[in-house]
Amino acid sequence: MVNLTIDDKQVTAPKTATIYEAAKLNGINIPILCHDSKLKPFGACRMCLVEVEQMKGRQIPACTTPVTEGMIIRTSTPDIVKARKMVLELLLLNHPIDCPVCDKGGDCDLQNLTYEYQVSANRFTDEKFQHEIDYNNPLIERDMNRCVLCGKCARICDEVVSFGALTFIDRGIETKIGCEFEGALNCEFCGSCVSVCPVGSLLARPFKFKARFWALTKQKSVCGYCGTGCNLTLGVQDNKVLTTIYDAEQGFHKGLLCARGRFGYQFINNDKRLTKPMVRKDGALREASWDEALQFVAGRLKGGNVAALSTARLTNEEFVLFKDLMKLAGSASYDHSAGYAHSALTKGLSRSFGVAASTATILDIQKSDLLLVIKTDAYETHPVVGFEINQAVKNKGVKLSILSDKRGKLGKLPGAKTLVHAPGTEIALLNAITKVILDEKLTAGTAASVAGFAELERALSDFTPEAVAGQTGIDAASIVQFARDYASAEKALIIFPTGLAYPGHNADLASAAANLAILTGKLGTEGSGVLCMAEKNNSQGAVDMGFYPANGGKDAGQILEDCASGSVKTLFVAGENPLVSYPDRSKVSAALDKVDCLIVSDLFLSETAAMADVVLPACSFAEKEGTFTSVDRRVQYFKPAIKKVGLSKSDFEIFSVLINLLGGQAPASPAAAFADIAASAPGYAGMSYAKLGEEGAFAPVDVKPALVAPAVVRPTVEQGKLALLVGSVLYHCGTLSQYGEGPMYVCPEGYVEISRADAAAHKVSEGDLLTVTSSTGSTQLKARISPRLPAGVVFAPYHFEAAQVNTIWSGAAVTWVTVGK
Amino acid sequence: MSDAVAQQTEQQEPEIDLSIADAVIDKYIDIPGNLMPVLQGVQDEYGYIPHVVADHIAERLNVYPSQIYGVLTFYAQFHLKPRGRFIIRVCVGTACHVSGAPRIVETFFDKLGIGHAETTPDLRYTFEKVACLGACGMAPLAMVNDDTFGKMTVQKVDEIIAEYNQRPMK
Repeated sequence: MVNLTIDDKQVTAPKTATIYEAAKLNGINIPILCHDSKLKPFGACRMCLVEVEQMKGRQIPACTTPVTEGMIIRTSTPDIVKARKMVLELLLLNHPIDCPVCDKGGDCDLQNLTYEYQVSANRFTDEKFQHEIDYNNPLIERDMNRCVLCGKCARICDEVVSFGALTFIDRGIETKIGCEFEGALNCEFCGSCVSVCPVGSLLARPFKFKARFWALTKQKSVCGYCGTGCNLTLGVQDNKVLTTIYDAEQGFHKGLLCARGRFGYQFINNDKRLTKPMVRKDGALREASWDEALQFVAGRLKGGNVAALSTARLTNEEFVLFKDLMKLAGSASYDHSAGYAHSALTKGLSRSFGVAASTATILDIQKSDLLLVIKTDAYETHPVVGFEINQAVKNKGVKLSILSDKRGKLGKLPGAKTLVHAPGTEIALLNAITKVILDEKLTAGTAASVAGFAELERALSDFTPEAVAGQTGIDAASIVQFARDYASAEKALIIFPTGLAYPGHNADLASAAANLAILTGKLGTEGSGVLCMAEKNNSQGAVDMGFYPANGGKDAGQILEDCASGSVKTLFVAGENPLVSYPDRSKVSAALDKVDCLIVSDLFLSETAAMADVVLPACSFAEKEGTFTSVDRRVQYFKPAIKKVGLSKSDFEIFSVLINLLGGQAPASPAAAFADIAASAPGYAGMSYAKLGEEGAFAPVDVKPALVAPAVVRPTVEQGKLALLVGSVLYHCGTLSQYGEGPMYVCPEGYVEISRADAAAHKVSEGDLLTVTSSTGSTQLKARISPRLPAGVVFAPYHFEAAQVNTIWSGAAVTWVTVGK
Repeated sequence: MSDAVAQQTEQQEPEIDLSIADAVIDKYIDIPGNLMPVLQGVQDEYGYIPHVVADHIAERLNVYPSQIYGVLTFYAQFHLKPRGRFIIRVCVGTACHVSGAPRIVETFFDKLGIGHAETTPDLRYTFEKVACLGACGMAPLAMVNDDTFGKMTVQKVDEIIAEYNQRPMK
């Protein structure tokens, strides 16, 4: 810490702080346009000029000048105020004064500073800019006439998002911000540039002319898409969520969001939302009263032979109630996420660590020395975690090793090492890496005493790098080097995504990853461990609440089989859309057709809901209260932002009524339900809504390591066919984002990505309609030629109903397909 | 990629042989800070930096395409459109200006049918006004590629054009 004086006030600040940061820490406000806490100092706007006595009264920028011991700083002398006024006058020279129609009005830094410094006239005259406004994409409007050249958009796109869509173009007085070859913005559409823009140069188009900023109610919430657990501020007016508002200090991610979080909120007030319950009569779904619908459902649940499938998007409180409801209905058969998407946690990490949770948190990413990412899809499934990885590698010099079946954005980070292996051979590869660590005695001192050590050594005897090289397509030397890199790093973190589209990321992969961490002792310390990133916003909560089969209960696959065979008579599906998102569509469809009574609670009349006998309109996260648990077990409480749409009810209310109808006693409120959770769920002890506050709290993970030999299934190889990998696409999460306009603007339909070599071999051009055929069926998908895929591999995202990818995908990690025009 | 962009028409450029660019990139690939020499080398080969080549360089060197464009527009030495076989530069610096450079410039404009920083459709000539060529003793001065023509007159403009019209394009 250093001591300094700011405006005659004695203050202290960290040695690494700049004057601007030191002032901010001590509650002294210095005006600035080009600063964001996530970005490196830039010194572009000259608004933060201050005087430092030791520098003979010269005016220097506070944001780029580090503090030194004994500095005497004045932030608002008459000269400084005069200089700032002049800066504002110069900025306002070219800036169009179109505040009445600018959506940034009320939230514009330039407007606010103009007001604060009372710049009511301008001594200078100049022409306004005449740049063409970029309306070429549906999400981000670029009006460079309003730009003040602070560079924040270009810097955040480089330093944090690592996409680099925007840059300074031309030189001197001609300088402007633009894209490559003056083209349209073509990027990840995370909107980070929009969020940091201090003026109205970059605007969210879905929010254009929707409301004035000051008329919005700002309600904090937690994002309802993936498991990262990002915090949102929703802008609400007239009971509608109209936008997401940037708050640079909100959440661990400091306001960063991805395309889904920032632009995908429209599903909340989508016109397609279900507003009334529906019951099937004479073969058609007809509107009914809640009373009638719930009475009918309760009657069916009393009838026995019940099973339940749930989405991983419910709140923790709802999961507990759903479980209680199934108990009252006399069933132990309930599951979520197709039964396999949670197996990495529930079967894998629970046997390796003694607890079905990750040992590391997202905060560890930037504190690590080496990140081992399994599958580059980690960026697509959890983009904000991807931002953390970007920042760790680019700003903190963290090393990055990637094992993946295709190249991805993470592999472009400086110094990233990517091993592109044959599809479906991740576990063999991890075993080979583990074997190198054992053979070269790179293990931590205590490794040999961990349970299962001897068995693991025996089980891995065949996994020499040379033996594995053949099936993975990676040379032995690279595998050895990879192992040495991991073992020699002081702190190392293993990250892998799981989800419906990643059946290969199963219990054995989780155990293989855990073995590495246990053997090398990279566990339980800051910046080390294993981070298993489950797909949905409350996947970890679903596991923590125990919403998966135990005590003889059936898993999702068996439940669907039982529906098909008739032994399950009533299936209650809460928010899940198995017809689109589960593999093997024909099997799912037959099961849902066959089951006597299908009850679906959902926000929308999804493809699954359309088959139901009873449809209950549920409400979104923005209309209810509860808690979500993120992938790193951060439990976060959120309140409703708007009143419930139509007559919809939260699943909590639906389950409560049903529990009472079945003779049970439901908790009076989500808070009461959470008190039960705090009393019973491991790690949640002592938590309450009041204690969670805005930050949330981590449920601690008590690790009891055990080494487990992972089973390796060698993928079959079919000559002459292509390996289809199913996965997630950056703009979508599950099937919910289909109802968010933003994600649908940029990625409206399914596609198949094909390598350049295969495209040439099959004479495929960009956009061709290809018929993709596997042993289970065929579907038509548009071709996208991509440099990231190795030859012989194709990739298709699973989210889209129309694409019907699950007709050709039966749930195997690798599906062999043929493509033809 | 957004559909808006997917629907954008490809830039109309003649077929570009990327192997020429690859040869240049290979030469500098392992050198830190290689972007400038690569861009200069590539421009020497093609005469300008075609869009597809800029994208290719971005992919090979793992830098953002936008960053390359930023560099290309920052330095006056880089060109984004095909340039003529013969670059005619007429000095409009102080000494040349007072000895009649504007008339020389106008004459070139008339004879070639192109203005400043433009190229004839047959790609034979590119014309540029430049601030000073550093040979004020020979004002007014013109240069065609590396050949210098001092004490320029309107007649000399005709002679220069006649001479270079005879020169081969390769």
